[in-house]
Amino acid sequence: MGSPTESYVRLSLNEDLVRSNEQVYAPHFVSVLDPSLLGEVDVTAGIPEGGWLIVNTVMNQLDIQDIVKRKDLNIATIDATRIALDILGRNITNTIILGALVRVSHLFTIEELSDAIMMRFKGEIAGKNIKAIQQAYEETCIYEIGKDVDFFVHTKVPWQQVDLGLPGYKELDKAGVWYCDENIIQVGSDQVNTGSWGEWEILWDKDTCTDCAQCWYICPDFAIIREKGDDGLWHMAGIDIYHCKSCQNCLNICPVNAITKRMKQGPASCAAPEESGGN
Amino acid sequence: MRHPKKVEGIEMSVEPMKLFFKEIKEPTETAMIGNYAVAGGVTQTDPDVICAFPITPQTQSVEGLSDVVHQGRLKAAFVNVESELAAISYSTAAAAVGARVFTATASQGYLLMAEALPMAVGWRVPLTMMISARAFNAPNLSIWNSWEFVLTDFGWNCIVSENVQETYDAAILSVMISDKSLFPTMFVHDGFIISHSVQKLTLIPDKTVRELTPKKPRHTINTKKPGTWGGIVTPSFFMEGRKNLDEAKQPVLGIMRETFKEFGKATGRQYDLIETYNLDNSSKTAFITMGSMCGNIISWMTKNKDVGLIKVRAYRPFPYEELQKIVQEHDLEKLIILEKSDSLNNLLPPFSTSIATALYPLGTLLRSFIVGLGGRDVTQDEFDIAKKKMEAVKDMKGPLYMYLGVRETKNKILGVDM
Ligand code: SF4
Ligand code: SF4
Repeated sequence: MGSPTESYVRLSLNEDLVRSNEQVYAPHFVSVLDPSLLGEVDVTAGIPEGGWLIVNTVMNQLDIQDIVKRKDLNIATIDATRIALDILGRNITNTIILGALVRVSHLFTIEELSDAIMMRFKGEIAGKNIKAIQQAYEETCIYEIGKDVDFFVHTKVPWQQVDLGLPGYKELDKAGVWYCDENIIQVGSDQVNTGSWGEWEILWDKDTCTDCAQCWYICPDFAIIREKGDDGLWHMAGIDIYHCKSCQNCLNICPVNAITKRMKQGPASCAAPEESGGN
Repeated sequence: MRHPKKVEGIEMSVEPMKLFFKEIKEPTETAMIGNYAVAGGVTQTDPDVICAFPITPQTQSVEGLSDVVHQGRLKAAFVNVESELAAISYSTAAAAVGARVFTATASQGYLLMAEALPMAVGWRVPLTMMISARAFNAPNLSIWNSWEFVLTDFGWNCIVSENVQETYDAAILSVMISDKSLFPTMFVHDGFIISHSVQKLTLIPDKTVRELTPKKPRHTINTKKPGTWGGIVTPSFFMEGRKNLDEAKQPVLGIMRETFKEFGKATGRQYDLIETYNLDNSSKTAFITMGSMCGNIISWMTKNKDVGLIKVRAYRPFPYEELQKIVQEHDLEKLIILEKSDSLNNLLPPFSTSIATALYPLGTLLRSFIVGLGGRDVTQDEFDIAKKKMEAVKDMKGPLYMYLGVRETKNKILGVDM
């Protein structure tokens, strides 16, 4: 979990086509590892009709259709976070989502994927990853619209790389200088909802807390709230859920276990069978 | 030389380097990022000294090398220094006493080296340096790709790579070229685009690399023959020294060509000073550029068969005769130059200037398009519009360069009707 990151893979039997070092603007498959990005980033940009959107989520596919406002995509969901926590013991879903990708893309087989995992990891870690991938493969919920992706369709939005909408060179007051007026300060990192990043809700128990402030010192996001009491001293007052990214540092350092965690998301659900199949 | 002690309990720290820990017995296909590929290639050339200062996006190349030295795979002195100026000074001095030396940098690091870069040429040391091309910081800090290296070369050799395979090969080729020419060689890939992309490549067997890069140091320390290197001279001496270097540089392109041939024979990968694609096309027009963009253009050309591509691999010395020959042989009328650098002084930027100088006697029509600064992606949109703009060019009048893919205002791209 962290700030939004995109990465690409380009596969082709035509060497000239994979020779490009351009970023991918018209993907045929998109995997989203963190469902909170669905509303924040245009994850479906450039996917042609019939392309696949694969999401790590407990939501069902029809809800995702509503969020991304596209009905022309095939959608697959997988609760990769739960599989990761169950099998790997940590919320690392990078490999796991590949199980879902293999299930819907048929670009390579689960055996080939396992071989690749064994080249990258060793021993127990390799075994766990393979197990997690297989489970993801089996548990993927699929919602097909009845049209498959055409690899020869290329739907790059022209000049997407130029980010229209941001100031042009004629509109720069002084190149390289950003004046810090009020507006700019208000769009600083203070406004970023890092609280949406993590998979845990962090809970604080006022009665157990001894006000030692260790959590306050260790929190990397200033997400521990302290308030000045009538006695003139600062006291622990709670957790700022808008900024807490659930790193669990506070939980680990608290000497009296006054901080605990709870999984944010409930159990996964597939779209009801009578709804799938698309229209 | 001191070697760092192996720290107990610390296993391999740089995972992708593990391939280079065992002897590579046959050509091995693998995939990794450009920087680790370079670290591997350099490992295979068995350097004596590695001295560099970390800077994005060059860092993993040196990180990978620190690992192979730390783990005892490579018996080299890995020297930590306080800055790039120290790194190039140390490296030059080490090469001047006969060591095989590798260093690496980018952007501001290259600029900080500038004070000592000319002396590596002046003393004729066979040093090699990797550059992960990155913008220098003006008017903003940018860690992304531009061609800072074209700004100045002080007489270094320079070869530019398109992809991970090429930059790996360049790590080995540069050692060969430096050793044979006795001039320092820098090899460049586009920062992040290649330094941090995982791509397929084939590794060369260790034995082949050893045969390609035999160690026959031509600089040695001789206590019986003491001398002063680089001492001050009066106006009565300096010009002769410069002309001496100019003469010594003349055969370097020939040496490069021969080196590419020798390398091709040993590995099957044929390189040249300049490479060409689809030049006998209907519009008698070709793109000319270097580095990672060549791959983008080749992909784009699968649907655009009426233009060609000239890819410059040897940037310094600049192969102007070869370029003239290519343009003449294929009867090219127009060249579209793509350059990731600008000049700000009404002049063509350095790569374009080199081309314009070389083609001056032929009168070839050309325009320079400034693209991809600070990591902006260069895509089919830029190629389409550059091609279209070139169709309208009928003479060499008016401004010879323009920026492509830049916002003029919030809703308008310079020179593009939308
Ligand atoms: S989990 Fe605790 S330490 Fe981490 S961001 Fe939230 S409040 Fe801060
Ligand atoms: S570390 Fe625990 S006891 Fe100390 S202030 Fe934080 S919650 Fe309270």
